[in-house]
Amino acid sequence: MSLTIKEILENKGITPREEHLEILETRWKGMQALRGDLKGANIDDADIALRNIPGGDHVE
Amino acid sequence: MLSKELVAKSVEELAPLIENKSISPVELTEAILDHADATEEKINAYMEMYRKEAIEGAKKAEEEIVNGNYRGMYHGIPMAIKDNVYFKDKVSTMSSKIHKDFVSAHDATVIAKLRNAGVVFTGKLSMHEYAWGITNNNPHYGAVKNPWNLEKIPGGSSGGSGAAVAVGSTVASLGTDTAGSIRIPSSACGIVGLKQTHGRVSKYGVYPLAWSLDHVGPMTKTVKDAAGLLQIIAGFDKNDPTTVDVPVDNYLEKITGDVKDLVIGVNEEYFFNEVDDGIEKLVRAGIQTLVNQGAKVKEVKIPMLQYAEWAELVTSLSEASAIHHSDMLTRPDDFGHDIRMLFELGELPSAVDYLQAQQIRRQLKQDFQKAFEEVDVLMMPTLPILPNDIGDDWANLNGKKVDLIDNIIRFTGPGNLTGLPALSVPCGFSEGLPVGLQIMGRAFDEATILNTGYALEQTNPMKNKKPDLLLNA
Repeated sequence: MSLTIKEILENKGITPREEHLEILETRWKGMQALRGDLKGANIDDADIALRNIPGGDHVE
Repeated sequence: MLSKELVAKSVEELAPLIENKSISPVELTEAILDHADATEEKINAYMEMYRKEAIEGAKKAEEEIVNGNYRGMYHGIPMAIKDNVYFKDKVSTMSSKIHKDFVSAHDATVIAKLRNAGVVFTGKLSMHEYAWGITNNNPHYGAVKNPWNLEKIPGGSSGGSGAAVAVGSTVASLGTDTAGSIRIPSSACGIVGLKQTHGRVSKYGVYPLAWSLDHVGPMTKTVKDAAGLLQIIAGFDKNDPTTVDVPVDNYLEKITGDVKDLVIGVNEEYFFNEVDDGIEKLVRAGIQTLVNQGAKVKEVKIPMLQYAEWAELVTSLSEASAIHHSDMLTRPDDFGHDIRMLFELGELPSAVDYLQAQQIRRQLKQDFQKAFEEVDVLMMPTLPILPNDIGDDWANLNGKKVDLIDNIIRFTGPGNLTGLPALSVPCGFSEGLPVGLQIMGRAFDEATILNTGYALEQTNPMKNKKPDLLLNA
């Protein structure tokens, strides 16, 4: 089952403007095209190192 | 001195005149405010003008200087600031309807630092609503116009800052930059814009667009003005979890203009692909002027740039939509049509999309780091296109109609993704509009890109050109 953009947004409580739906569809497809298959990016083991610093925002 | 002469001057020209008491901060501030009054009807850069407080501030600065307490380059300099940077007890609207009455209880860290440096604040400047766009065609407060051609956009989101500096209604300004919002209007308006390294300048008290990509930085008439401004605002801040405690250089001292043996990196595949012919010609000519002064050029590969546009879009869209999610649930009609659509789009990427974008980002950083083992700076056009007509959502790229937002951030976005410093410096005019050359550098090495920008600035044959509106308002 695939959901439409309208359904995805409505499931999050967001009501998109009707005139945006076609543009959103085009832009979302455009983003998928930019992403491609990420072949060659070797992202599976790429550690993005989100920091979890106990005791505050900075290491001091 | 005639007020027209005053408003045309840079900080580096004004500062010695203020220090030796040839001109007074009051005289300068009055000239700037009068010039803003005269140009606002056409430019629409100001959200609010602080005339009374500015004159009081200028009198205080003057008294201090007369009494021998000169604080430095920006003492007594009038500045207006982008409207997402908080002033204590003043309204900061973010040029939005939702925050139209928002009053901050504290100064942003950058404002507190500028106060200590003796800056005179003349007001707040218009921006693209919530900084989420590049046209500055604001549905609530009207379009800001480009001083070089009133039918063209000034770029954004710091378009009020770009237009005001170019037309002389502020001497210098601060902008914010998440995908290019300092550098885009700086290029479009023919001024200098610096997005320093992420973590170099505190963002505390600046309304966010996308936390991991946001920067606040200088927009000025000259490279030395930008260096002087960075000197004041740079440094660690315990209130901003992203600032990094590394030593701050003496930027002005390191500007010598000497580029002998500087190695300039050029990446043809990404940064010279699909570029307006007129822009490309000027940027290559700019690089050649540095080669003529002893710099060398080396081609570099940065393979992960092929995914940079996707990673930038997913990161900025997701973070911005998270910030505005609550208002999208309860009062979406209060957003302008264009940014509401972007907030809708930002609800679509999955958590996996966002995290994969961060994985791409890390690898992109590694690619850039590798490139900077071979070169000192990278050079490219700031923008691949010229500023478009106000109201259009498309741009002309060598006769082809292309999407505006996707194209205008193509060369600036990688600086935000990697956090590396990037400077836009004017390098000439194409079709009567200014063109910027972008210089990227190693992390926390703003000194090298500023020195390189200064060397380029000295050779720009159009550097003393001013908009007609500045001269004839």
